[in-house]
Amino acid sequence: MIEFVDKSFSDSESLDVLNGYVREWFTKNFSELTPPQKYSFKLISEKKNVLIAAPTGSGKTMSAFLSILNSLFNKSLAGELERKIYCIYVSPLRSLNNDIYKNLGKPLEEVYDAMKKDNGINIIKGNMTEVTIGVRTGDTSQKERRQQLAKPPNILITTPESLAILINSEKFMENMKGLEYIVVDEIHELANNKRGVHLSLSIERLQDMVKGRITRIGLGATLYPLEEAAKFLVGFNGETPRDCKIVDASWSKELDVRAMSPVKDMISSSNEKIEDSMYEEINAIIKASKTTLIFTNTRSGTERVVFNLKHRFKYGEDIAAHHSSLSRDSRLDVEELLKKGSLKCAVSSTSLELGVDIGTIENVIQLGSPKSVTRAIQRIGRAGHSFRAKARGEMIVLNRDDLVECTVMLDAALKKHLDSFTVPRNALDVLAQHIVGMSLNKKWTVDEAYAVVRSSYAYSDLERHDFISLLNYLSGKYVGLESRHVYGKIWYDEDEGAFGRRGMYAKPIYMLNLGTIPDEVAVNVLLSSSKAWIGNIEEEFLTRLKPGDIFSLGGRLYRFEYAKGTKCYVSEAHTNLPTIPPWFSEQLPLSYELADEIGEFRAKMSAFVLGNTKKKRADAGRARIGIYRTLKGGKIPTEASDFLSLYPIDSNAKHAIFGYFVEQALFAGAIPSNKLIVIETTNEEKTGTESVVFHSLFGRKINDALSRLVAFEVGMMLDEDVSIMVNDNGFILSAGKSVKFADRVIKDAISKLLEADIELLLKENIRKTELMKRRFRHVAGRSFMILRNYRGWKQSVGRQQVNAQILLKAAEEIDPNFPVIKETYREIFSDVMDLARTKKVLDMIRSGMIKYKMIKTGSPSPFAHTLFAFGHADVVLMKDRQAYLKYLHKLVMKSIKSGK
Amino acid sequence: MRLTDDVELLDGLPIAYIRSINALAVADLHLGYEGVASKGIALLPKVNLSNIMKSISTAIKKTGANAVIVDGDIKNEFSRVDQEEFNELYDFIMFGKSERVSLILIKGNHDNFVERYKDSFKLKIYRQEADIGGYLFFHGEYLPENITKNTTMLVMGHEHPSIGVYNSIGSKERLRCFLYGKYMGVPLLILPAMNYFAGGTEMNSEPRSSLLSPIFKKADPNGMNAIVVGYGSTMDFGKVGKLRGLRA
Repeated sequence: MIEFVDKSFSDSESLDVLNGYVREWFTKNFSELTPPQKYSFKLISEKKNVLIAAPTGSGKTMSAFLSILNSLFNKSLAGELERKIYCIYVSPLRSLNNDIYKNLGKPLEEVYDAMKKDNGINIIKGNMTEVTIGVRTGDTSQKERRQQLAKPPNILITTPESLAILINSEKFMENMKGLEYIVVDEIHELANNKRGVHLSLSIERLQDMVKGRITRIGLGATLYPLEEAAKFLVGFNGETPRDCKIVDASWSKELDVRAMSPVKDMISSSNEKIEDSMYEEINAIIKASKTTLIFTNTRSGTERVVFNLKHRFKYGEDIAAHHSSLSRDSRLDVEELLKKGSLKCAVSSTSLELGVDIGTIENVIQLGSPKSVTRAIQRIGRAGHSFRAKARGEMIVLNRDDLVECTVMLDAALKKHLDSFTVPRNALDVLAQHIVGMSLNKKWTVDEAYAVVRSSYAYSDLERHDFISLLNYLSGKYVGLESRHVYGKIWYDEDEGAFGRRGMYAKPIYMLNLGTIPDEVAVNVLLSSSKAWIGNIEEEFLTRLKPGDIFSLGGRLYRFEYAKGTKCYVSEAHTNLPTIPPWFSEQLPLSYELADEIGEFRAKMSAFVLGNTKKKRADAGRARIGIYRTLKGGKIPTEASDFLSLYPIDSNAKHAIFGYFVEQALFAGAIPSNKLIVIETTNEEKTGTESVVFHSLFGRKINDALSRLVAFEVGMMLDEDVSIMVNDNGFILSAGKSVKFADRVIKDAISKLLEADIELLLKENIRKTELMKRRFRHVAGRSFMILRNYRGWKQSVGRQQVNAQILLKAAEEIDPNFPVIKETYREIFSDVMDLARTKKVLDMIRSGMIKYKMIKTGSPSPFAHTLFAFGHADVVLMKDRQAYLKYLHKLVMKSIKSGK
Repeated sequence: MRLTDDVELLDGLPIAYIRSINALAVADLHLGYEGVASKGIALLPKVNLSNIMKSISTAIKKTGANAVIVDGDIKNEFSRVDQEEFNELYDFIMFGKSERVSLILIKGNHDNFVERYKDSFKLKIYRQEADIGGYLFFHGEYLPENITKNTTMLVMGHEHPSIGVYNSIGSKERLRCFLYGKYMGVPLLILPAMNYFAGGTEMNSEPRSSLLSPIFKKADPNGMNAIVVGYGSTMDFGKVGKLRGLRA
């Protein structure tokens, strides 16, 4: 059974489970037990499976390890400690591995020193030995590997990938037969992705191979729902999850956060003023704090902020950037400096949001929306290292959608409404790898192997026919017998119902190609005329480009002409507006829960605002001027002001939000919410084309699916190719210059959609997209259909990409349900998009719980502006966008003033 | 689609039929492709040969042709004859026999070692080019040499021509095509690849300088007609130059 533990144990109960040496060491080094430790010492000493959720700095490592160390020292004292692995620690972060190694080194040494004093004679006799620890990752040298084989450490620190290799190493497995504990750290970074799924299968295979039951301990920061994470950790025994105790100490740290707007009026203030004011704010916070950590949403944003701070306020080496494009050494340097407290400020994109120990941070500043409550809490939680300290943070926003988003997000954070994660279910590509791995271990009956696989939560409801289809695929059943020696990676006898190893290449293929992180491609951008190299873009970005699209690179604009392999040819563009935002591929999607809460907020605000504006519309004139004053920064009506005061925002922000809603109400007479989709037919004056804006605030994953579906239906009815622009707040459809979208067409398209099999419709729609090709390449790589590495030949990603296209076509020909294709669709529908929730949204439209309303506007309404200016920008990189926003805003104000 | 009084491009097939010599012209089969790929880099399911046989068989039924001219690259590997490749080559020759057509091969750059099988299988093999009834067949990696005033048409392969069509939801489709134009005043027909996996050279986006065949140094691809094959039909899309930046 999976259950939360409500009551902590008393300190003496917890400390009593430790032997004298360990207890003494602990009490000498720590003044008290942290919240998670009050549960974990005893539970783990009883060999219970435990999931511990607790913020950084709450003594998580010790809470997991102390009881384990204690049991190992007990063995040592009893002269029973053998040279084998008793405990495996797995973390997705290599740098964390080194941290843990260092952190455990101290107690191991000190406790043993104390033991030696009393037990000299046993040491001489060789009865008492040291508890040892070792690290095994991709970086471990050959020499160390050999030593580990000969003298296995008692505690092995490793990564998911290295573990997968170790369980296929026969010699190493001999050392693991007596495994008692496995600790999975940073579980929030694993449970929601294929890397974690991969690990879960490794653990189940390991459990199947060792003698006794393995006690599983999971460590995570903020995540929700914890029951899911627990199931992910412990897996299933038959049809039911194994037992697990959940220790939820994730709220033991108090949050002190607010959203701030650098200026009162974000629209009419000049760029310079907004930037000046933002950096002044940041500087004031840095000056007032010992150390400040700033998060931006993109790597380029990080660089920009560091540059500006140094340039404007004459900072020197006391400010540093930390992001994933920097070299490992320079990142380690920054971490070291932070730990020592010798940095005043560090700026990071996502790389510092994870568990690496960075010492005491006094303040966290988040620039722009981090797009999810959980991430917001994780980031802000970096402040105040000890569990007693409050985590202090500021969110600085620079546009009004961002502001509303952050306001609601922080409110949700304070109310502990987290967005949920899901474990990818039945990922066939990851399973394909493990089937190959399993076949190398021994000969299996299908039933036996199927049962081991289903004991992982990620596969607990795996259909048998899917399992069989993978066996067929991996054994090369789809080619004639005479070619099977080439195609088959496993041997599989259908009649006998058994499979196993085939040939001598299967093992090197498994060892060299395992893992779930796809090779990333840097696409070279070249001028088509001179073939001069301009820079790199990411592959994902390339897949969005169509000939004629304009994008910025290194501060200049280029027109996309064509791509070949991993080269992209462009010409210089002489306009000032890109058609594709540069941050596109770095943008994080807004979570569904948060989108829903923002929708709720919009509904509440619209009650205050629409009532007011309607009344005042009636007697026009003077009242209109009153409202207009509010927009310009006057007094907010009491009830709205009271409502906004419930949120953690400053007064600038309050005015900005209220003004934003009033503008929308006055201009469009409709405010979209989570119960109302506003569909706005409008003209985009610069190009003169008619567009339809769907204000559907459901987050990008749903809007991605929804927009394709609507565009598909509308396109069919108009017999036109409809183009889409999509972000978290909605999407825009447009077609050629002369194309008009009659209300009837939109309505018909929606009602058609409500009756359609949307999964089928989407499949047809994405079958030929670059998205499909790219994801197929990843899945085919993970399924060992395309090999990155074969007999020592490393294959370029460009080659893989070309292969993937033809491979997809051929696989479709053989069987449209070929497991590799099936998995590609699954990944797109549940990871890139959120098909399940899209269906729910459509259900709610059908049942009338979500209504839609059609309006017509002469130019885009305020809530559509960021959509027209291409989704959310990184706030620090938005000059072009802002010029465009201002232009749109001017149109709105002109219309409001003239009384339309 | 009728190209000239004597030449028919068969609907939906990458195959030309020449009435006066009662022969089908095809190019770039690259037999053995999957087997070779699967030993190295990617497990390609086998679909190429069966598709080719199906197409040729349909074409023979439609036209009553008694010869198939393979205008280069019947096989895939440069440096050796792979076992998988040999099996497919063998199957293809047997297929020709069962369809009662004679096979004529113009050697392409991938066709090393095929002469080994010349005698045992009674294959007709031309080293570089062949004039058959006024039609000058050559593969295309070299320029044609023996153009005379009696040459009715030049027929080549090698380039794997195709047209890329983008639509606005981010998808691109590549359609294989014939190219039809003139070289030194003589009509020139470039055959699309028969190979199932050949993505092809995107004629409407690739700059002239990066095309494979030296023929394009003299014949401007922009001035040639792209005759697209796919979805059961064959259709003239007009001049390649006009198709640049094409969006559907």
